[in-house]
Amino acid sequence: MKPILLQGHERSLTQIVYNKEGDLLFTASKDHIINVWFSSNGERLGTYSGHNGSVWSLACDSQSKLLLSGAADNTMKLWDIKTGECLKTWEFPTAVKRVAWSDNDNLALCITEQRSGHQGAIRVYEISHDGDCKNQPDEPITEFSPIGSKATVAAFAPLGHEIITGHESGKVALFDAKTGEEIESNERAHSGAVTDLQLSPDGTYFVTSSKDKTARIHDTKNLAVIKTFTTETPLNSACITPLKPYVIVGGGQDARSVTTTSTRSGKFETRFWHRVFEEEVGRVRGHFGPINTIAVHPEGKAFASGGEDGYVRVHWFDDSYFRSRPYGDLEPAD
Amino acid sequence: MSDLTTAAAADPKSWADEDDDDALPKPTETVGPDGIITIVEWKLDEDDRKVKVTRRVRRRLQTSQVSHTVAERKHWNKFGAEKGKSAGPDRATTTVSENINLKLVAGGQKAEPAEDEAAKAKATVGTKRIMCRFCKGDHYTSKCPLKDTLEGAGMGDMMGGDMAPADEGAGGGGMGSKYVPPSMRAGARGAGESMFRREDMPTVRVTSLSTEADEDDVRNLFSRFGPISRVNVVRDRDTNESKGFAFVAFESKKHAELAAEKMNGHGYDNLILSVQVLEPRPPRD
Repeated sequence: MKPILLQGHERSLTQIVYNKEGDLLFTASKDHIINVWFSSNGERLGTYSGHNGSVWSLACDSQSKLLLSGAADNTMKLWDIKTGECLKTWEFPTAVKRVAWSDNDNLALCITEQRSGHQGAIRVYEISHDGDCKNQPDEPITEFSPIGSKATVAAFAPLGHEIITGHESGKVALFDAKTGEEIESNERAHSGAVTDLQLSPDGTYFVTSSKDKTARIHDTKNLAVIKTFTTETPLNSACITPLKPYVIVGGGQDARSVTTTSTRSGKFETRFWHRVFEEEVGRVRGHFGPINTIAVHPEGKAFASGGEDGYVRVHWFDDSYFRSRPYGDLEPAD
Repeated sequence: MSDLTTAAAADPKSWADEDDDDALPKPTETVGPDGIITIVEWKLDEDDRKVKVTRRVRRRLQTSQVSHTVAERKHWNKFGAEKGKSAGPDRATTTVSENINLKLVAGGQKAEPAEDEAAKAKATVGTKRIMCRFCKGDHYTSKCPLKDTLEGAGMGDMMGGDMAPADEGAGGGGMGSKYVPPSMRAGARGAGESMFRREDMPTVRVTSLSTEADEDDVRNLFSRFGPISRVNVVRDRDTNESKGFAFVAFESKKHAELAAEKMNGHGYDNLILSVQVLEPRPPRD
């Protein structure tokens, strides 16, 4: 496969997301700008500018109309995807580290950083889709601060009643989206900070990546660890491939210690792990810095990775990828 | 008079003509008989020179069925930094990278391709494969057919020097010729350690020690109480003379305590030893 190299950012990537059909790719970086690209040919459709700090997180709704972004300028913004216009800005006392939509696009959540006397908080907003969408509520319907370790990543569980969170201590928890009550928790899901959390296509399980060099698949209902993928490098991102039974993980040594070793031993490769057999089946090289974020095409035809090096690489899978069955008859049927 | 004006107009160095020259020719596209399209473009390089860029491409129409919403989005107007730009990828932001093979193989990946290369390099050194220093051919350097030409071009001096054995100084033991930082070597405990870090061994301090006593003497003196992991006689940095005290690290706390109890007040070389068990220092961060 020939990766498409997107050079729209001047600083390291923080999060990339596909829209629901997979034709648009949104990329956020520390350079304050959000880009949107046509994933098929790498053409840039536009930029969303307005943030005054590193953009930490992005979320695209299921209709590809509204885009949420959270940034280090202590704001969360709602954008019109088609025009690039900012529809609404919410301000917080601290930086916004993660944003997410619920399945039905009615709820949006954001995690704010814990800093200078402010507790890290998770807020849930009810987003209205009336008219030009500029009239949004200022106050969240739910606001709560997880006790103990701060939350780093979060996503809505299917149906949007619960929020799955990953924490700095390695804990994974389930909160009620309405009351903020902790329903379930797995304190020792990971032994390092959870860096990414992405749901499977049907939402019944999700994958987390962690600084403890492992990625794990958890059951959405009871948070039980189903599978563990142990690598030799701290992981920054993990996602589940639809269509094929793989998990794609990416990471690399800390950005600050990168200059001490060669690209090779930095292990800046995206790795494919078999979801069932928990074995590594393939690698894709290309980045010359740690991989910060990985997103997979919703139909499983492609994946994109964003690195500390400021590049986004979009890989459309070859036919051989779809044909290959590394485990032969042991392979689960497609 | 009229002659003069015509002469000026005919002069190709006239400023009016020069201005015309600067205008770049329009890009042309010609389709060859084999379906290969030749695109000729003109552009100015950094020094304002005209550069002709010829690209030969083959266009293949790929049709894919997409939903209506996706098809509609294809016709959206560009906005933000891309506002007003024409359709199609901009080569300033979008490039196609070289081909990558993703081969999916069962049974986990090989530990590290870098190590494979190092091993391969080492294997070739071990079997002493014959390689010409000039042309890298499969024969002795002295038998090289290009010897005279290359040597004349100064390659001989450059390549002729004795190569230092690359394996020396690697120190990692079986890691090949590649330098491996200590923190990455087998058995290393992650990131580098401070050189002043004390081992967390139960240690006794021996004072009023004779300045004549060296490490071996102290080791002999204390080894009867149990296995010793380290003996350190403190010396003056310049004169290398013992300062009269030493540290003895035991493998177990029990032995250290026994040694302190038995040896405290023991006479050694006309001096009465004073021995105390050291309290473990709180870990430094």
